[in-house]
Amino acid sequence: MPRVTPRQRKNTAMADNRLPSAAPGALTVAAARTGFLALLVLLWWVASVNVARNIIPSPLATLEAAGRLLHAGDLQQAVLDSISVYLSGYGVAILVAIPLGVVMGAFNLLGKTLEIYVYALSATPRVAFIPLIIVLLGLGAEAKVFIVFLGAVMPILINTYAGVRQADPELVEMARSVGAGRLRIFTRIVLPGAVPYVIVGLRLGATIGLINTVVAELYTAVRGLGGLLAVYGNTFRMAEYFVVVLSLATIGVIVTEGLRYAEQRLGRWRT
Amino acid sequence: MKFDRVGETGPGTRMKNAGHNRPRLVLDSVEKRFARPDGEIVTALSDVSMSVEAHTFVALIGPSGCGKTTVLRIANGLIQPDNGAVTIAGSAPKPGPETGFVFQEFRLIPWATVQANVEFALEVLPLSRAERAERARSYLDLVGLSRSAQSYPGQLSGGMKQRVALARALASEPEILLMDEPFANLDAQTRELMQSELLHIWMRHKPTVLFVTHSVDEALLLADRIVLMGTGRVLETFDVDIERPRNLEATRSDARFIAMRDDLWARIRDLVLSDPQSEFYGRNLGG
Ligand SMILES: Nc1ncnc2c1ncn2[C@@H]1O[C@H](COP(=O)(O)OP(=O)(O)OP(=O)(O)O)[C@@H](O)[C@H]1O
Ligand SMILES: [Mg+2]
Repeated sequence: MPRVTPRQRKNTAMADNRLPSAAPGALTVAAARTGFLALLVLLWWVASVNVARNIIPSPLATLEAAGRLLHAGDLQQAVLDSISVYLSGYGVAILVAIPLGVVMGAFNLLGKTLEIYVYALSATPRVAFIPLIIVLLGLGAEAKVFIVFLGAVMPILINTYAGVRQADPELVEMARSVGAGRLRIFTRIVLPGAVPYVIVGLRLGATIGLINTVVAELYTAVRGLGGLLAVYGNTFRMAEYFVVVLSLATIGVIVTEGLRYAEQRLGRWRT
Repeated sequence: MKFDRVGETGPGTRMKNAGHNRPRLVLDSVEKRFARPDGEIVTALSDVSMSVEAHTFVALIGPSGCGKTTVLRIANGLIQPDNGAVTIAGSAPKPGPETGFVFQEFRLIPWATVQANVEFALEVLPLSRAERAERARSYLDLVGLSRSAQSYPGQLSGGMKQRVALARALASEPEILLMDEPFANLDAQTRELMQSELLHIWMRHKPTVLFVTHSVDEALLLADRIVLMGTGRVLETFDVDIERPRNLEATRSDARFIAMRDDLWARIRDLVLSDPQSEFYGRNLGG
């Protein structure tokens, strides 16, 4: 499970702020990204023309398929289904993982006791639990939400815990030297210091949660974007299939960019 | 009696007020041992006795690892001695507003503004929110940083960061200011400017200061008395009989300054060369 160490964090801060080559204007970035998108679409088109048996639909065919799906309302319904599963599972994961990570970090014995079980669970491929979850919770929304939860909760928990544990001992000593008590040190020094770690965990959790949303929809009652993926994949409707894949990618981008924005807002002091 | 508040100053007038010469910090036969992670016990202080009188500036010098930081941490109450007695203004030290600690690495809270960093040291005092803000502002003003109050530490230069740390330590109006190599992380030029700044502030407020440094010049420039430490103990004490106000140029070319510097340097060199733990042990460095 990836974690940031303080050194890595410092390095990214440097890369973000100090290196002159790493600071092009927002407009330049947008232009470069658009250019790259055009290149990707071109490559896609070339591939669609050259790969046999219509396995890759052309960009135009995909666009038409998107129009059809939107017109019929299938896509909106699927996106809505998937997002509600995704956000429920991810939300519950946040509500559980952050407080648990904080408590584990605050109480040394509790943290030391639980951490090996947390690491063990996070090292186990979560798909291994899906048959068990289906037996226990059935094929409905609860099972899906639980599968998403299970994927998202670990990175958030582990990073929150790590963030609380690695509080800067020099700052803590400074706080002690001015007479701050344990509670004030925890709320004013330790917790704010853990925020960058928590955000890394949230970002990882968001990605894994989205993956697990699709996995859950494929394994359980076939609904949502994962459901459409299965249907179109099995019937070789590749244009529709591509629309679904692109929708998932878009959701992923929106969520990670949102978290990056939150990170920037919280980290304004870094500049 | 604490040192004067901002405003009610006047160079020299408070120099010999009541409380002068009464020790504000006393260490009596202090002993301190630490357990290393590998279980080995190190004696950081074997027998340290010293005192700092009110409104006196004492510099503590000595080779690396001789226990200077440990003395400051004991004086603040961050750690307790294993043996011997420590008092600040007559009672056992406890971390808080009675002492002001300035660290070599500044130790500012990076996500808090300069103003909030100074206020952080005032939160245990019985002050209203407005009084606290006002107090922080007046000490930021004293160190010349009123215009940076809303900046974050990351936006400041090293010298400015250390000014914030100094304002934070002064703002609680402590019995004694404990400074641990506060200018060691600054470039040479900024260091000299900060020394001048500290001389200036000292003349205005006459704080009681215990100042750790590796620089003989810095100790001579700033201090009324210099305590020379060897491994875990006090070796000698020197009075610096150079009148105030002092300043960088005049004081450093003063004949007494030069004579004392040579004297102290010779002592420290002998100390280091005769210490089996030192990397310079047994070297012939001319002298
Ligand atoms: N918390 C600690 N645990 C173990 N050993 C310690 C601890 N604090 C200090 N020591 C040891 O005590 C001795 C004195 O340390 P101290 O930091 O007081 O030295 P110093 O004079 O401030 O050195 P420097 O000039 O390098 O800052 C050193 O040998 C150090 O390794
Ligand atoms: Mg030290």
